[in-house]
Amino acid sequence: MLIIKPKKYFEVCVEAEITPDLALKKVEEVKKFKVFYGNKIVELGELFEISKEGEDKKIVLGGDFSRVKWVGTRMVDGEILVKGSIGTNCGAFMRGGRIIIEKDADDWLGTEMAGGEIIVKGNAKNLVGCAYYGDAVGMSAGKILIEGNAGNYVGDKMSGGEIIIKGNAGDFIGMEMRGGVIEIHGSCGFVGGDMRGGEIRIKGSFEVLPTFKKTEKGWVGDVNVKGEGVVKNF
Amino acid sequence: MLWIKNGVVVDPKNRINAEKMDLFVKDGKIVEESKVKKGDCKVIDASGKLVVAGGIDMHAHIAGGKINTGRVMRPEEMRVVRNIAGKFRATVGRVLLTAPAIGYEYAKMGYTMSFEAATPPITSPHTHEELDAIPIIDKGALPVFGNWHLVFKCIEEKNLEKLKSLIAWTIERSKGFGVKIVNPGGVEAWMYGGNVKGLDEQVPGFAVTPREIITWLMRANEELNLPHSIHLHCNNLGIPGNYQTTIESIKLANGLKNEKRQILHVTHVQFNSYAGNSWRDVASGAAEIAKIVNSMDNVTIDMGQAIFGHATAMTGDAPFQFTLHKLIGARWSNKDTEVETGAGIVPIGYLPSNPVHTLQWAIGLELGLLIESDKVVLTTDYPNGGPFTEYPYVMAMLMSKKMREGELKRVHQYVQKATTLPSIETEKTLYEVIHMTRSLPARVMGLDKKGHLGIGADADIAIYDLNPLTTDFSNEFDRVYKAFKVSEFTIKDGDVVAKKGELVKEVFGKTFWVDASKKVDVEAVIPDVKSYFDFYTVQFSNYGVDERWLKKSKRIEVI
Ligand SMILES: [Zn+2]
Repeated sequence: MLIIKPKKYFEVCVEAEITPDLALKKVEEVKKFKVFYGNKIVELGELFEISKEGEDKKIVLGGDFSRVKWVGTRMVDGEILVKGSIGTNCGAFMRGGRIIIEKDADDWLGTEMAGGEIIVKGNAKNLVGCAYYGDAVGMSAGKILIEGNAGNYVGDKMSGGEIIIKGNAGDFIGMEMRGGVIEIHGSCGFVGGDMRGGEIRIKGSFEVLPTFKKTEKGWVGDVNVKGEGVVKNF
Repeated sequence: MLWIKNGVVVDPKNRINAEKMDLFVKDGKIVEESKVKKGDCKVIDASGKLVVAGGIDMHAHIAGGKINTGRVMRPEEMRVVRNIAGKFRATVGRVLLTAPAIGYEYAKMGYTMSFEAATPPITSPHTHEELDAIPIIDKGALPVFGNWHLVFKCIEEKNLEKLKSLIAWTIERSKGFGVKIVNPGGVEAWMYGGNVKGLDEQVPGFAVTPREIITWLMRANEELNLPHSIHLHCNNLGIPGNYQTTIESIKLANGLKNEKRQILHVTHVQFNSYAGNSWRDVASGAAEIAKIVNSMDNVTIDMGQAIFGHATAMTGDAPFQFTLHKLIGARWSNKDTEVETGAGIVPIGYLPSNPVHTLQWAIGLELGLLIESDKVVLTTDYPNGGPFTEYPYVMAMLMSKKMREGELKRVHQYVQKATTLPSIETEKTLYEVIHMTRSLPARVMGLDKKGHLGIGADADIAIYDLNPLTTDFSNEFDRVYKAFKVSEFTIKDGDVVAKKGELVKEVFGKTFWVDASKKVDVEAVIPDVKSYFDFYTVQFSNYGVDERWLKKSKRIEVI
């Protein structure tokens, strides 16, 4: 288990593609891992205290990581435990393993993820499990659980996997969705614009677009794109 | 001063075919041996290497509103990092490149000039700003005329003198190079959601037809005797059965002659060579097109070859772009350029498993193989058919039947019955392919100092790691492809700018533009032009580009 803690408050954001693979390396090696601090390339050890306890493939991020981006990018296995909040793009493109965030997650959580699990104990911001601008497909497999609230554009262009939000969410949920499930235990705004497939379940209130047909399965659409997505209460 | 020693030179304009010789360069020009002091020369040992003129891309979309909108709407294209800032500028782009990347990638491949093939005159300030951000290569831009209300007015009035004045005024104001025509009349019809379907259909709101637009602009262009002929993107582009419209358009050049060059250049003909009635029975019309082009001595074309992989369709042909968007369901951007023209942009990709894409790929090659090498220029209509960085693929394919056989095995077999490609035995020679990429585009554009290595030519030179005397082009296609991908040396105006695919020096090329304003009474058209400024969003005094704004202006005066 590798323990990483910031040495100071970061004036500008740090871009650190930290994955559990680092936990298998020697502390001295980990310290040399290259990250961006603003527009400068620096070594991880310059910005963070690094220590190791045991050999399991796990990283614990202590302290404030809310200005640290791209944690867990492309990870395939192992675990990352974030003791506080995490910056943007956490878990982007991840294919396996688990990320647990004890406080909040910033925008672009689990973008284009294709496997694994992300658990957020606090709130998540916008664009959870979506596609990067210009790309055709968002999250395709895996699971994201948010125990608090989420922002706008959850599951944009999502084609598979599961996003569960225990609180409320914002507008434009499951836009251009093709598959998978979004489950919201609270309420949200507009859902399913240009949705082609998949299912959006909402416990509270939501706003459906006029391009969805009411059926016994729920609201089916988006008719504009000949979609067969389902939006329903549960 | 440069001394390029012992190279194997191929220079079709000067009828030099793989001769071992030395070249000398002084003050950016190719000079006689006696004009240099050998001791002061920087020597490049080109033993066993191919020495040719720098490549010329006579039709690409490299600057202005369309490519820039493409960049904006395709952020995914911008994620490929090509160069990190340092001695050279930061560049990104997969197929849609940033402006500096365009200059760098051409130079690394041994190309030294490229033309932006369509700029609305009103947006010429934008086009030139971007051209000025492209390093190394020489550039030029073709303003579009085929859907401009003012052009229609001159034709309706049957006033050739006024049309000539308008052309001369416009290319001077826009610092343009020649007369581009895109889907004549069709883009105007698109302003009302329509298109024109044939040469004799009237343009909505005007008493003119596409046939008249083409012939009047052709006559005006010839009377002005501009360096380049009219440059035509035919009606019905991208529609099955369109090869007949293309043939009819080509015939419009009948009866006219020019000593130095063609009367009509038809561009990216691959997109205009479809037989059949629908996408279900679409087939190649390339053999018919080849027959008519070969039978005429005043028409040239360029291929518009499709390359498998990513591309972005961007043309002034706004109705076609909408059709394409509906056909493939990809993103779409539409442009309405005031009273002058329109445009559209749609991302595409060519897949070897898709029958239509494979057909397009095969038609481009058919045109390149079946048409005489003195009449067909190699292009991909970048980025419509794909990246210009794959020109070496097209060059190698034209020279090797065996390479084509290999490729034909991996593509959709629809091409077996829908095209003649599998049965074509022709293998173009290196001499022919060098002509199609250098001396021919130079002649088509009317540039006598470009595309060759004769005394007095601009010292734009490419040296490749390929010995024509010992290479078997039919069988060693892989090596040929790789050799043309990156030059050993690219020399621009006498400076070595790239070496083995690495940039060495950043220089800035010239922007070539044509000034024919002395040939006509430009004032004759000004009252008409001014009357249209009731409809423009800019004022007359703010229209166009002044010469002093250009980074490096090269004015070509027509007298
Ligand atoms: Zn074009």
